[in-house]
Amino acid sequence: MNRSHRIPYLLVSLFTFASLALAACAPAATPAPTSAPAATVAPTSAPAATSAPAATSAPAATNTAAPAATEAPTTAPATAAPTTGPASAANTLTFDSNISDLITVDPAVAYEYSGILVVHNVYQSLVTFVGSDLTTIKPALADSWDTKDAGDHWELTFKLHPGNKFASGNPITADDVVYSYNRVVAINGSPAFLFTDVGGIVTDSVKAIDPLTVQINLPKTASPGAFLAVLTNTIGGVVDSKVVKTHEANGDHAATWLIDHSAGSGPYVVDHWTKETEVLLKANPNYGGAKPVLDSILLKHVAESANQLTELQKGDADVAANLTAEQLATLSGDATSTKGADLRLFYLGMNVAMKPLDKVEVREALRMAIDYDGIIKDLLSGNAQKVQTIIPIPMFGANSNAPFQQDVAGAKALLQKAGVSGLSFEMLIPDGAAPGGVQWADLGAKLKSDWDQIGVTVTIKQESFAELLKSYRAQKAVLALLYWGPDFADPDTNVTPFTSYKAHSIAWRNSWDDPIATKSAAAALMTDPTARVAAYKEITEYVLHNGPYAVLYQPAALFGIRTNIQGFAWNPMGFADFWSISKTK
Amino acid sequence: MALLSYLLRRLVGFLAVMVGVSIITFALSHVVPADPAIVALGDHASEAQINAFRDKFGLNKPVPEQYWIYVTNLVQGDLGTSLRTRRPVAADLRDFFPATFELSLTALVFSILIGVPAGVASAVSRNRLPDHVVRVVSLIGGSVPIFWLGLVLIGFFYGRLGWLPGGARIDRFIPPAPTVTGLFTIDSLLAGNSQAFWSSAQHLLLPALTLGYFSTAIIARMMRSSMLEVLNQDYVLAARAKGQREVKVIWHHAVRNALIPTVTTIGVTFGSLLSGAVLTETIFSWPGLGRYATNSAINLDFPAVMGVTLLAALVYTAANLTVDVGYNWLDPRIRSG
Repeated sequence: MNRSHRIPYLLVSLFTFASLALAACAPAATPAPTSAPAATVAPTSAPAATSAPAATSAPAATNTAAPAATEAPTTAPATAAPTTGPASAANTLTFDSNISDLITVDPAVAYEYSGILVVHNVYQSLVTFVGSDLTTIKPALADSWDTKDAGDHWELTFKLHPGNKFASGNPITADDVVYSYNRVVAINGSPAFLFTDVGGIVTDSVKAIDPLTVQINLPKTASPGAFLAVLTNTIGGVVDSKVVKTHEANGDHAATWLIDHSAGSGPYVVDHWTKETEVLLKANPNYGGAKPVLDSILLKHVAESANQLTELQKGDADVAANLTAEQLATLSGDATSTKGADLRLFYLGMNVAMKPLDKVEVREALRMAIDYDGIIKDLLSGNAQKVQTIIPIPMFGANSNAPFQQDVAGAKALLQKAGVSGLSFEMLIPDGAAPGGVQWADLGAKLKSDWDQIGVTVTIKQESFAELLKSYRAQKAVLALLYWGPDFADPDTNVTPFTSYKAHSIAWRNSWDDPIATKSAAAALMTDPTARVAAYKEITEYVLHNGPYAVLYQPAALFGIRTNIQGFAWNPMGFADFWSISKTK
Repeated sequence: MALLSYLLRRLVGFLAVMVGVSIITFALSHVVPADPAIVALGDHASEAQINAFRDKFGLNKPVPEQYWIYVTNLVQGDLGTSLRTRRPVAADLRDFFPATFELSLTALVFSILIGVPAGVASAVSRNRLPDHVVRVVSLIGGSVPIFWLGLVLIGFFYGRLGWLPGGARIDRFIPPAPTVTGLFTIDSLLAGNSQAFWSSAQHLLLPALTLGYFSTAIIARMMRSSMLEVLNQDYVLAARAKGQREVKVIWHHAVRNALIPTVTTIGVTFGSLLSGAVLTETIFSWPGLGRYATNSAINLDFPAVMGVTLLAALVYTAANLTVDVGYNWLDPRIRSG
């Protein structure tokens, strides 16, 4: 081949690579999604929460400085400029975390840890919990509220604080609340069951009485108190309806746009979310409360904990969210560790349909044989608390009674009393690392070893979480090691799933149909806090010794943090108030 | 005409490969004994929610029908909607592929620029110090796990020396240049943004070296072996006998001929770089296709897994086509027809 013949081959080679690169990297020809990507689910039956703590009166408004609402701009979305950066290191909190779970920052759809963390700092609800207190509901956008028994339904009336504005500058009105909550029902995303099932909300349930008064009607089967707790969640975030409506497309209620934009009134706005890279929040200039101390919050995706550790030590990160206990122990000098509460309960489920687990003595023997202190001390390096009842601490109604510690002789005696010996079970455990810094396999091996001492043989079957859940949800697991996290800050979020067979949740999965469910349902609707606490005490004590569970521990949320960071406090519901964090040089 | 005919035949072959890949991937991803709806909605979802999700994404239909729907949409350019991100898969690929392409391409360039001269030097200095050094370094490169290497490089160059950044594509306080190609280095050059260019180039260095080390070692060893063979050929002896300078003998006569098998290796290597990017991207917080593929697989996100697989097959096939076409340029004796 002479040189002139080679040229076409050379050109084709270059062209192939170039076209490949351009085809891959050029803006897509069809970027616009046509179907609504967020609307997915359609709950009808339910995790069945219908409770009622006592919060029915209306505390006075204390938290909103409230600039006067005179001008009324209309559009101006306050978000999404993907090529901007944080202000400077001095005014930015860099929060290293594995945020690969983040799929949207839309309050109607977000139900992942990272999504909740962002939405909590960007949107405001009508009511809120302050700090780590999960027992007293405080005002947020609403100054006050009132619960009225209207015969065949409950009427919750909220008075909005006058003068509150969205980040766009638009005033916050009752119409925005109605739009936001109807939007939750219409989109029917993952957290929508909190409205539709827990609150019994339908499209006509939320009404604007006047520009600053919202009325929410609940069916009598729902608990107003529990629904108030639901409203403190990110799903209660109120969106700027004027802005959001301008981004609706193909009936998607702007769910596509709100995946990575914000239209709220919280202390921060979403500046941009670069997927698998970072979310940048910037201070909302129209925020009604105290001005955030730091101008920018950079939620940086760092999947590897080793890299989080290095960045924290070098000062490139201010907080690291996924360090192991061993890594935290190495911190010194300018970096240290801090703990927060985590409401998840790690438990063993025992399927009472699988004999002899139907015998209370056998279940009690398995509970009694477990070395709880060893698990917490050795496997979790002390980063957990010994909780053995089904309501986590510090939730309302939590019962701190933890009577079990390994008692081999006692467990053997119970097995003898039950008339069984040579027991053998299969235990399903998830693969990978469990939240709290321990491998599921290590936890499973520890239990197996403990039960060996009482002559119970356990075969461990490790599966992916998805496989395990498929078996567990089909009542096919014998023993299953899992955890449960609350959906909202009311005891009913745990008590109903753990006790009600009809709820088709945890009790159902373990084939446990017990009359205690009647007491649970009654407790959910109680309005007297004292009586309710007493009811939950009785229920949790009963489940502790008769239920098909061995609650192992409640983990701590662990963080590495620079010593020049002040005001970082982890809320048990899974977020931090970024606006109260400050930084010294 | 011969070239055109050759390309047409390769195109038919390519389409057959894509169909085969799509069938195999689709079948494999649907025999997994787990429910993607439960993965997507979580432990707390009710049966009604799960069923609604299955209906929405067609997961209740028979697998052959699901495949038919998928292919029908695919030929219209619709790769479906991700079960995890709830976005069109095409949009996700558009977001994540440029980062992987930039990383893999840079790693490949490093591999060629370092591997080829190292192989030549090793062969020319056979059994002397340069040869020993290259062989040892190549042996390590072929053996060391990417994961470990990446962590060591980060710990040393970022953690200890502070010379290079530890992860991400660009400094957290430097906004990237407006997207044109999605390759940060190229986009910042196009925008004339030197600050963004240097930052993105610095951030590219460690992950590209980590990813490229293995392929550098393979290329160097292949080049050495090939050179040793070529250096014994008569035409090299003849060139030397004619009194040509050794540099010309090596680079003009020997290297060019020795490159032919190495080019094959480079083509295959590019495919392995794409797959190796999974670990490198995780270690260096690199927002590329590898991490997207991993998360999609973990979450049983079938449409996303299909999209990534088809794109990988496309790239792999294109790389091999490029290599084959490159043969014709390198070696006139090789004819496609």
